[in-house]
Amino acid sequence: MALSSTERARYARHLSLRELGVAGQERLKAARVLVVGAGGLGSPAAMYLAACGIGTLGIADFDRVELSNLQRQLLFDSTSVGEPKTAAARARLERLNPEVSVVAHDLELRAANIRAVIDSYDVVLDGSDRHGTRYLVNDACVIAGKPLVAAAIHCWEGHVTTIVPGRGPCYRCLFADVPEGAVANCAEAGVLGVLPGVLGTLQATEAVKLVTGIGEPLIGRLLTYDALEMRFTELPVARRAECAVCGERPSILEPFDRAPLCDSAELSAVRRLSAASLADELASEAGDALLLVDVRDPLEFRTGHLSGSINVPVAELARRLAELPGDRTAVFICRSGVRSRSACAIALAAGVPGAAHLEGGLIAWTREVDPDFPLDPPSGTGA
Amino acid sequence: MSCTVRVASPLRSYTEGAAKVAAEGATLAEVLGDLERRFPGIRFRMIDEQGRIRPHMRLYVNTSEAQALDAAVHRGDTVHVICALSGG
Repeated sequence: MALSSTERARYARHLSLRELGVAGQERLKAARVLVVGAGGLGSPAAMYLAACGIGTLGIADFDRVELSNLQRQLLFDSTSVGEPKTAAARARLERLNPEVSVVAHDLELRAANIRAVIDSYDVVLDGSDRHGTRYLVNDACVIAGKPLVAAAIHCWEGHVTTIVPGRGPCYRCLFADVPEGAVANCAEAGVLGVLPGVLGTLQATEAVKLVTGIGEPLIGRLLTYDALEMRFTELPVARRAECAVCGERPSILEPFDRAPLCDSAELSAVRRLSAASLADELASEAGDALLLVDVRDPLEFRTGHLSGSINVPVAELARRLAELPGDRTAVFICRSGVRSRSACAIALAAGVPGAAHLEGGLIAWTREVDPDFPLDPPSGTGA
Repeated sequence: MSCTVRVASPLRSYTEGAAKVAAEGATLAEVLGDLERRFPGIRFRMIDEQGRIRPHMRLYVNTSEAQALDAAVHRGDTVHVICALSGG
Protein backbone atom coordinates (compact mmCIF):
# COMPACT_ATOMS: atom_id res chain seq x y z
CA MET A 1 0.00 0.00 0.00
CA ALA A 2 1.95 3.00 -1.32
CA LEU A 3 2.44 6.15 0.74
CA SER A 4 1.32 9.58 -0.46
CA SER A 5 3.68 12.55 -0.28
CA THR A 6 1.74 13.84 2.74
CA GLU A 7 2.19 10.52 4.46
CA ARG A 8 5.89 10.49 3.67
CA ALA A 9 6.17 13.85 5.40
CA ARG A 10 3.99 12.82 8.36
CA TYR A 11 5.87 9.58 8.98
CA ALA A 12 9.36 10.91 8.18
CA ARG A 13 10.82 9.80 11.53
CA HIS A 14 9.54 6.28 10.91
CA LEU A 15 10.92 6.22 7.39
CA SER A 16 14.33 7.08 8.85
CA LEU A 17 14.21 4.12 11.23
CA ARG A 18 16.38 1.41 9.74
CA GLU A 19 14.11 -1.43 10.93
CA LEU A 20 10.88 0.22 9.77
CA GLY A 21 11.45 2.37 6.69
CA VAL A 22 9.00 2.66 3.82
CA ALA A 23 8.16 -1.06 3.79
CA GLY A 24 7.28 -1.04 7.48
CA GLN A 25 5.21 2.11 7.16
CA GLU A 26 3.31 0.56 4.27
CA ARG A 27 2.57 -2.45 6.47
CA LEU A 28 1.24 -0.14 9.15
CA LYS A 29 -0.98 1.54 6.57
CA ALA A 30 -2.34 -1.80 5.40
CA ALA A 31 -2.97 -2.99 8.97
CA ARG A 32 -6.29 -3.23 10.79
CA VAL A 33 -6.10 -3.06 14.59
CA LEU A 34 -8.99 -3.27 17.05
CA VAL A 35 -8.81 -1.61 20.48
CA VAL A 36 -11.29 -3.14 22.94
CA GLY A 37 -12.20 -0.55 25.56
CA ALA A 38 -11.75 3.18 25.08
CA GLY A 39 -10.57 3.67 28.64
CA GLY A 40 -7.29 4.25 30.39
CA LEU A 41 -5.42 1.64 28.34
CA GLY A 42 -7.32 2.17 25.11
CA SER A 43 -6.69 5.93 25.11
CA PRO A 44 -2.90 5.97 24.73
CA ALA A 45 -2.95 2.78 22.66
CA ALA A 46 -5.41 4.21 20.13
CA MET A 47 -3.74 7.61 20.03
CA TYR A 48 -0.29 6.19 19.33
CA LEU A 49 -1.63 3.73 16.79
CA ALA A 50 -3.49 6.52 15.00
CA ALA A 51 -0.47 8.82 15.14
CA CYS A 52 1.84 6.14 13.76
CA GLY A 53 -0.36 5.47 10.76
CA ILE A 54 -2.30 2.24 11.35
CA GLY A 55 -4.57 2.13 8.30
CA THR A 56 -7.78 1.02 10.01
CA LEU A 57 -8.31 1.47 13.73
CA GLY A 58 -11.40 -0.03 15.38
CA ILE A 59 -12.61 1.17 18.79
CA ALA A 60 -15.08 -1.02 20.68
CA ASP A 61 -16.86 0.41 23.72
CA PHE A 62 -20.42 0.99 24.89
CA ASP A 63 -19.94 3.53 27.68
CA ARG A 64 -20.34 7.26 27.71
CA VAL A 65 -17.61 9.62 28.86
CA GLU A 66 -17.78 10.48 32.56
CA LEU A 67 -15.99 13.27 34.36
CA SER A 68 -14.07 10.73 36.47
CA ASN A 69 -12.63 9.24 33.25
CA LEU A 70 -10.67 12.38 32.41
CA GLN A 71 -8.01 11.80 35.09
CA ARG A 72 -6.48 9.13 32.80
CA GLN A 73 -8.42 8.71 29.54
CA LEU A 74 -6.63 11.15 27.27
CA LEU A 75 -8.88 10.48 24.28
CA PHE A 76 -11.45 12.72 25.95
CA ASP A 77 -11.65 16.22 27.37
CA SER A 78 -14.16 18.20 29.38
CA THR A 79 -16.33 18.82 26.33
CA SER A 80 -16.71 15.05 25.78
CA VAL A 81 -18.54 14.32 29.04
CA GLY A 82 -21.82 12.56 28.31
CA GLU A 83 -20.91 11.60 24.73
CA PRO A 84 -20.62 7.98 23.60
CA LYS A 85 -16.97 7.05 23.98
CA THR A 86 -16.64 5.62 20.51
CA ALA A 87 -17.95 8.82 18.86
CA ALA A 88 -15.74 11.07 20.97
CA ALA A 89 -12.75 8.79 20.35
CA ARG A 90 -13.29 8.73 16.60
CA ALA A 91 -13.50 12.53 16.45
CA ARG A 92 -10.29 12.86 18.48
CA LEU A 93 -8.39 10.26 16.46
CA GLU A 94 -9.48 11.70 13.12
CA ARG A 95 -8.21 15.11 14.21
CA LEU A 96 -4.95 13.50 15.27
CA ASN A 97 -4.48 11.75 11.93
CA PRO A 98 -6.99 12.10 9.08
CA GLU A 99 -5.04 9.47 7.11
CA VAL A 100 -6.42 6.79 9.47
CA SER A 101 -9.82 5.19 9.00
CA VAL A 102 -11.43 4.97 12.45
CA VAL A 103 -14.26 2.48 12.91
CA ALA A 104 -16.53 2.96 15.95
CA HIS A 105 -18.06 -0.21 17.38
CA ASP A 106 -20.57 1.27 19.83
CA LEU A 107 -21.59 -2.00 21.44
CA GLU A 108 -20.91 -4.33 24.31
CA LEU A 109 -18.86 -7.26 23.10
CA ARG A 110 -20.75 -10.47 23.75
CA ALA A 111 -20.51 -14.02 22.51
CA ALA A 112 -23.13 -13.26 19.89
CA ASN A 113 -21.21 -10.42 18.23
CA ILE A 114 -17.52 -10.73 19.01
CA ARG A 115 -16.52 -12.91 16.08
CA ALA A 116 -18.14 -10.56 13.59
CA VAL A 117 -16.33 -7.61 15.18
CA ILE A 118 -12.82 -9.10 15.38
CA ASP A 119 -13.06 -10.91 12.07
CA SER A 120 -11.83 -8.03 9.93
CA TYR A 121 -8.89 -7.09 12.17
CA ASP A 122 -5.29 -8.30 12.10
CA VAL A 123 -4.46 -7.58 15.74
CA VAL A 124 -6.62 -7.01 18.83
CA LEU A 125 -5.68 -4.96 21.92
CA ASP A 126 -7.61 -5.68 25.09
CA GLY A 127 -8.01 -2.75 27.45
CA SER A 128 -11.37 -3.77 28.86
CA ASP A 129 -12.23 -3.32 32.51
CA ARG A 130 -13.80 -6.62 33.52
CA HIS A 131 -12.69 -10.20 33.60
CA GLY A 132 -15.70 -11.48 31.67
CA THR A 133 -14.72 -9.40 28.65
CA ARG A 134 -11.06 -10.39 29.00
CA TYR A 135 -11.91 -14.09 28.73
CA LEU A 136 -14.41 -13.47 25.94
CA VAL A 137 -11.81 -11.56 23.90
CA ASN A 138 -9.10 -14.13 24.63
CA ASP A 139 -11.28 -17.07 23.66
CA ALA A 140 -12.51 -15.39 20.48
CA CYS A 141 -8.97 -14.45 19.45
CA VAL A 142 -7.59 -17.93 20.15
CA ILE A 143 -10.41 -19.57 18.22
CA ALA A 144 -10.03 -17.12 15.32
CA GLY A 145 -6.22 -17.23 15.42
CA LYS A 146 -5.90 -13.47 15.99
CA PRO A 147 -2.90 -12.00 17.81
CA LEU A 148 -3.95 -10.28 21.04
CA VAL A 149 -2.10 -7.84 23.27
CA ALA A 150 -3.68 -7.97 26.72
CA ALA A 151 -3.05 -5.47 29.49
CA ALA A 152 -4.67 -4.71 32.83
CA ILE A 153 -4.14 -2.28 35.68
CA HIS A 154 -4.91 -1.94 39.39
CA CYS A 155 -3.92 0.95 41.67
CA TRP A 156 -0.16 1.28 40.97
CA GLU A 157 0.43 -2.03 39.16
CA GLY A 158 -0.01 -3.11 35.57
CA HIS A 159 0.43 -6.25 33.46
CA VAL A 160 0.91 -6.74 29.75
CA THR A 161 1.47 -9.82 27.60
CA THR A 162 1.18 -10.73 23.94
CA ILE A 163 -0.82 -13.74 22.84
CA VAL A 164 -0.25 -15.23 19.41
CA PRO A 165 -2.39 -18.37 19.06
CA GLY A 166 -0.26 -21.38 18.19
CA ARG A 167 2.98 -19.65 19.15
CA GLY A 168 2.56 -19.30 22.91
CA PRO A 169 0.23 -19.31 25.90
CA CYS A 170 -3.13 -17.53 26.01
CA TYR A 171 -4.78 -15.56 28.81
CA ARG A 172 -6.40 -18.74 30.17
CA CYS A 173 -2.93 -20.34 30.36
CA LEU A 174 -1.89 -17.32 32.42
CA PHE A 175 -4.98 -17.23 34.65
CA ALA A 176 -7.23 -20.23 34.18
CA ASP A 177 -10.20 -18.48 35.74
CA VAL A 178 -11.06 -15.45 37.83
CA PRO A 179 -14.08 -15.71 40.10
CA GLU A 180 -16.27 -12.67 39.47
CA GLY A 181 -15.63 -10.16 42.21
CA ALA A 182 -12.40 -11.81 43.38
CA VAL A 183 -10.36 -8.78 42.38
CA ALA A 184 -11.57 -5.22 42.75
CA ASN A 185 -11.52 -3.10 39.61
CA CYS A 186 -10.31 0.48 39.22
CA ALA A 187 -13.71 1.97 40.06
CA GLU A 188 -13.53 0.29 43.44
CA ALA A 189 -9.82 0.28 44.21
CA GLY A 190 -8.62 3.44 42.45
CA VAL A 191 -5.87 3.81 39.88
CA LEU A 192 -3.00 6.19 39.28
CA GLY A 193 -3.95 8.28 36.25
CA VAL A 194 -0.54 7.90 34.62
CA LEU A 195 -0.46 4.10 35.03
CA PRO A 196 -2.55 3.12 31.98
CA GLY A 197 -0.47 5.55 29.95
CA VAL A 198 2.54 3.26 30.47
CA LEU A 199 0.69 -0.01 29.84
CA GLY A 200 -1.43 1.22 26.92
CA THR A 201 1.69 2.57 25.24
CA LEU A 202 3.36 -0.82 25.65
CA GLN A 203 0.31 -2.41 24.01
CA ALA A 204 0.60 -0.05 21.05
CA THR A 205 4.31 -0.87 20.78
CA GLU A 206 3.53 -4.57 20.61
CA ALA A 207 0.85 -3.97 17.97
CA VAL A 208 3.32 -2.07 15.79
CA LYS A 209 5.83 -4.91 16.13
CA LEU A 210 3.25 -7.59 15.34
CA VAL A 211 1.99 -5.73 12.28
CA THR A 212 5.44 -5.02 10.89
CA GLY A 213 7.09 -8.27 11.98
CA ILE A 214 9.86 -6.31 13.67
CA GLY A 215 11.48 -7.26 16.96
CA GLU A 216 10.58 -9.87 19.53
CA PRO A 217 6.99 -9.85 20.73
CA LEU A 218 6.06 -10.36 24.39
CA ILE A 219 4.90 -13.94 23.75
CA GLY A 220 5.14 -16.32 26.69
CA ARG A 221 6.21 -13.49 28.96
CA LEU A 222 4.25 -11.45 31.45
CA LEU A 223 5.65 -7.98 31.96
CA THR A 224 4.61 -6.44 35.25
CA TYR A 225 5.06 -2.80 36.13
CA ASP A 226 5.01 -1.41 39.64
CA ALA A 227 4.79 2.38 39.53
CA LEU A 228 5.36 2.74 43.29
CA GLU A 229 8.76 1.10 43.07
CA MET A 230 9.29 2.02 39.41
CA ARG A 231 10.08 -1.58 38.61
CA PHE A 232 9.46 -3.74 35.57
CA THR A 233 9.59 -7.51 36.06
CA GLU A 234 9.45 -10.12 33.31
CA LEU A 235 8.07 -13.53 34.24
CA PRO A 236 7.80 -16.55 31.95
CA VAL A 237 4.40 -18.00 31.11
CA ALA A 238 4.12 -21.46 29.58
CA ARG A 239 1.29 -22.96 27.57
CA ARG A 240 -0.87 -25.25 29.67
CA ALA A 241 -1.72 -28.58 28.07
CA GLU A 242 -5.00 -28.57 29.99
CA CYS A 243 -5.96 -25.00 28.95
CA ALA A 244 -9.69 -24.91 28.25
CA VAL A 245 -9.31 -22.98 25.01
CA CYS A 246 -5.81 -23.56 23.59
CA GLY A 247 -4.88 -26.83 25.31
CA GLU A 248 -4.71 -30.33 23.91
CA ARG A 249 -8.39 -31.07 24.49
CA PRO A 250 -10.12 -27.69 24.49
CA SER A 251 -13.59 -27.54 26.02
CA ILE A 252 -14.24 -24.00 24.83
CA LEU A 253 -14.92 -24.19 21.12
CA GLU A 254 -17.03 -21.05 20.85
CA PRO A 255 -16.84 -17.74 22.74
CA PHE A 256 -19.36 -17.61 25.58
CA ASP A 257 -20.74 -15.05 28.00
CA ARG A 258 -19.88 -15.56 31.64
CA ALA A 259 -22.84 -15.73 33.96
CA PRO A 260 -23.62 -14.03 36.16
CA LEU A 261 -22.05 -10.84 34.91
CA CYS A 262 -21.42 -8.66 37.92
CA ASP A 263 -20.37 -5.30 36.59
CA SER A 264 -18.46 -2.69 38.49
CA ALA A 265 -21.63 -0.74 39.31
CA GLU A 266 -23.12 -3.78 41.02
CA LEU A 267 -19.95 -4.55 42.93
CA SER A 268 -19.55 -0.91 43.91
CA ALA A 269 -23.10 -0.88 45.27
CA VAL A 270 -22.40 -3.72 47.68
CA ARG A 271 -22.92 -2.58 51.28
CA ARG A 272 -20.10 -3.65 53.56
CA LEU A 273 -20.53 -4.46 57.22
CA SER A 274 -17.50 -4.75 59.45
CA ALA A 275 -17.43 -7.67 61.86
CA ALA A 276 -17.85 -5.32 64.82
CA SER A 277 -20.81 -3.49 63.30
CA LEU A 278 -22.49 -6.77 62.33
CA ALA A 279 -22.05 -7.98 65.91
CA ASP A 280 -23.61 -4.73 67.17
CA GLU A 281 -26.56 -5.03 64.78
CA LEU A 282 -27.16 -8.65 65.72
CA ALA A 283 -27.15 -7.73 69.40
CA SER A 284 -29.65 -4.90 68.88
CA GLU A 285 -33.34 -5.05 68.05
CA ALA A 286 -32.43 -4.52 64.38
CA GLY A 287 -30.80 -7.94 64.45
CA ASP A 288 -34.14 -9.66 63.99
CA ALA A 289 -34.50 -8.07 60.57
CA LEU A 290 -31.24 -9.58 59.33
CA LEU A 291 -30.94 -12.87 57.47
CA LEU A 292 -27.43 -14.29 57.64
CA VAL A 293 -26.62 -16.17 54.44
CA ASP A 294 -23.40 -18.17 54.61
CA VAL A 295 -22.20 -18.73 51.02
CA ARG A 296 -19.31 -21.07 51.83
CA ASP A 297 -19.23 -24.72 50.85
CA PRO A 298 -21.29 -27.08 53.06
CA LEU A 299 -18.13 -28.64 54.53
CA GLU A 300 -16.89 -25.26 55.70
CA PHE A 301 -20.37 -24.41 57.00
CA ARG A 302 -20.54 -27.58 59.06
CA THR A 303 -17.22 -26.78 60.70
CA GLY A 304 -18.72 -23.68 62.21
CA HIS A 305 -21.15 -20.89 61.37
CA LEU A 306 -22.80 -17.91 62.96
CA SER A 307 -25.91 -18.71 64.94
CA GLY A 308 -29.06 -18.48 62.85
CA SER A 309 -27.30 -18.40 59.48
CA ILE A 310 -28.46 -20.46 56.52
CA ASN A 311 -26.12 -22.10 54.00
CA VAL A 312 -26.45 -21.25 50.30
CA PRO A 313 -23.12 -21.85 48.48
CA VAL A 314 -22.35 -18.97 46.15
CA ALA A 315 -22.41 -21.24 43.10
CA GLU A 316 -26.05 -22.08 43.86
CA LEU A 317 -27.17 -18.62 44.87
CA ALA A 318 -28.53 -17.36 41.56
CA ARG A 319 -31.03 -20.22 41.29
CA ARG A 320 -31.89 -20.26 45.01
CA LEU A 321 -32.52 -16.55 45.53
CA ALA A 322 -36.24 -17.24 45.85
CA GLU A 323 -35.50 -19.10 49.10
CA LEU A 324 -34.48 -15.87 50.81
CA PRO A 325 -37.35 -14.38 52.82
CA GLY A 326 -38.25 -10.99 51.37
CA ASP A 327 -39.02 -9.43 54.75
CA ARG A 328 -35.44 -9.61 56.07
CA THR A 329 -32.22 -7.99 54.89
CA ALA A 330 -29.71 -10.52 53.60
CA VAL A 331 -26.17 -10.31 54.94
CA PHE A 332 -23.85 -12.59 52.98
CA ILE A 333 -20.99 -14.24 54.80
CA CYS A 334 -17.99 -16.30 53.73
CA ARG A 335 -14.52 -16.98 55.00
CA SER A 336 -12.63 -13.92 53.75
CA GLY A 337 -15.25 -11.62 52.22
CA VAL A 338 -14.51 -12.46 48.58
CA ARG A 339 -17.33 -14.91 47.86
CA SER A 340 -19.78 -12.94 49.98
CA ARG A 341 -19.09 -9.82 47.96
CA SER A 342 -19.82 -11.65 44.72
CA ALA A 343 -22.95 -13.12 46.30
CA CYS A 344 -24.10 -9.68 47.31
CA ALA A 345 -23.59 -8.38 43.78
CA ILE A 346 -25.55 -11.33 42.37
CA ALA A 347 -28.41 -10.61 44.77
CA LEU A 348 -28.43 -6.89 44.03
CA ALA A 349 -28.38 -7.55 40.29
CA ALA A 350 -31.38 -9.85 40.73
CA GLY A 351 -33.29 -7.10 42.52
CA VAL A 352 -32.84 -8.21 46.15
CA PRO A 353 -32.89 -4.85 47.99
CA GLY A 354 -30.44 -3.74 50.66
CA ALA A 355 -28.18 -6.79 50.61
CA ALA A 356 -24.91 -6.44 52.54
CA HIS A 357 -21.85 -8.56 53.16
CA LEU A 358 -19.47 -9.15 56.02
CA GLU A 359 -16.27 -7.40 55.01
CA GLY A 360 -13.22 -9.52 55.72
CA GLY A 361 -15.49 -12.50 56.28
CA LEU A 362 -15.34 -14.87 59.20
CA ILE A 363 -11.60 -14.28 59.41
CA ALA A 364 -12.41 -10.71 60.46
CA TRP A 365 -15.14 -12.03 62.77
CA THR A 366 -12.59 -14.29 64.46
CA ARG A 367 -10.17 -11.40 64.81
CA GLU A 368 -12.60 -8.70 65.97
CA VAL A 369 -15.50 -10.44 67.67
CA ASP A 370 -15.01 -14.08 68.58
CA PRO A 371 -11.47 -15.50 68.71
CA ASP A 372 -12.93 -18.93 69.48
CA PHE A 373 -15.04 -19.12 66.32
CA PRO A 374 -14.30 -22.52 64.67
CA LEU A 375 -13.05 -21.33 61.30
CA ASP A 376 -11.02 -24.43 60.48
CA PRO A 377 -11.65 -28.10 61.18
CA PRO A 378 -9.77 -29.41 64.25
CA SER A 379 -7.29 -31.24 61.99
CA GLY A 380 -6.18 -27.89 60.60
CA THR A 381 -6.60 -29.01 57.00
CA GLY A 382 -8.29 -25.76 56.03
CA ALA A 383 -6.41 -22.84 54.56
CA MET B 1 15.81 -18.53 55.31
CA SER B 2 14.83 -14.97 54.59
CA CYS B 3 13.33 -14.06 51.25
CA THR B 4 11.55 -11.09 49.73
CA VAL B 5 7.92 -11.36 48.75
CA ARG B 6 6.58 -8.98 46.15
CA VAL B 7 2.90 -8.56 46.90
CA ALA B 8 0.30 -8.22 44.15
CA SER B 9 -1.48 -4.87 44.24
CA PRO B 10 -4.92 -6.34 45.14
CA LEU B 11 -3.41 -8.02 48.23
CA ARG B 12 -1.59 -4.98 49.60
CA SER B 13 -4.53 -4.15 51.84
CA TYR B 14 -3.25 -7.02 53.98
CA THR B 15 0.33 -5.70 54.13
CA GLU B 16 -0.62 -2.14 55.06
CA GLY B 17 0.14 -1.11 51.49
CA ALA B 18 3.63 -2.60 51.37
CA ALA B 19 4.65 -3.76 47.88
CA LYS B 20 7.35 -6.02 49.28
CA VAL B 21 7.81 -7.73 52.61
CA ALA B 22 10.47 -10.01 54.05
CA ALA B 23 9.43 -13.54 54.99
CA GLU B 24 10.93 -16.70 56.43
CA GLY B 25 10.64 -20.23 55.11
CA ALA B 26 12.47 -22.97 53.23
CA THR B 27 9.44 -23.77 51.07
CA LEU B 28 6.65 -21.72 49.56
CA ALA B 29 4.25 -23.26 52.10
CA GLU B 30 6.43 -22.02 54.95
CA VAL B 31 6.79 -18.57 53.42
CA LEU B 32 3.02 -18.28 53.02
CA GLY B 33 2.57 -19.56 56.57
CA ASP B 34 4.87 -16.82 57.82
CA LEU B 35 2.91 -14.23 55.83
CA GLU B 36 -0.37 -15.55 57.23
CA ARG B 37 0.86 -15.20 60.81
CA ARG B 38 1.74 -11.56 60.23
CA PHE B 39 -1.01 -10.64 57.76
CA PRO B 40 -4.03 -12.79 58.68
CA GLY B 41 -6.21 -13.72 55.73
CA ILE B 42 -3.63 -13.13 53.00
CA ARG B 43 -2.93 -16.84 52.41
CA PHE B 44 -6.55 -17.64 51.69
CA ARG B 45 -6.58 -15.04 48.93
CA MET B 46 -3.86 -17.09 47.18
CA ILE B 47 -4.59 -20.67 48.23
CA ASP B 48 -7.96 -22.42 48.25
CA GLU B 49 -9.48 -24.81 50.77
CA GLN B 50 -7.76 -27.75 49.09
CA GLY B 51 -4.33 -26.16 49.34
CA ARG B 52 -4.17 -25.34 45.63
CA ILE B 53 -2.98 -22.08 44.14
CA ARG B 54 -6.09 -20.20 43.09
CA PRO B 55 -6.65 -20.02 39.32
CA HIS B 56 -6.37 -16.22 39.24
CA MET B 57 -3.07 -16.24 41.14
CA ARG B 58 0.45 -17.21 40.08
CA LEU B 59 3.39 -17.67 42.41
CA TYR B 60 6.98 -17.49 41.25
CA VAL B 61 10.20 -18.17 43.09
CA ASN B 62 12.52 -15.79 41.28
CA THR B 63 11.52 -16.45 37.67
CA SER B 64 10.32 -20.04 38.10
CA GLU B 65 6.60 -20.54 38.38
CA ALA B 66 5.66 -22.62 41.42
CA GLN B 67 3.10 -25.32 40.60
CA ALA B 68 2.76 -26.41 44.21
CA LEU B 69 3.56 -25.18 47.69
CA ASP B 70 6.50 -27.54 48.22
CA ALA B 71 8.69 -25.38 45.94
CA ALA B 72 12.00 -24.64 47.63
CA VAL B 73 12.82 -21.10 48.68
CA HIS B 74 16.40 -20.10 49.44
CA ARG B 75 17.89 -17.19 51.31
CA GLY B 76 17.79 -14.10 49.11
CA ASP B 77 15.14 -15.43 46.74
CA THR B 78 12.25 -13.29 45.59
CA VAL B 79 8.74 -14.71 45.66
CA HIS B 80 6.46 -12.94 43.20
CA VAL B 81 2.75 -13.03 43.98
CA ILE B 82 0.89 -12.26 40.76
CA CYS B 83 -2.85 -11.68 40.70
CA ALA B 84 -5.08 -11.27 37.65
CA LEU B 85 -5.97 -7.60 37.32
CA SER B 86 -9.17 -6.36 35.74
CA GLY B 87 -8.80 -2.61 35.36
CA GLY B 88 -8.52 -0.98 31.98
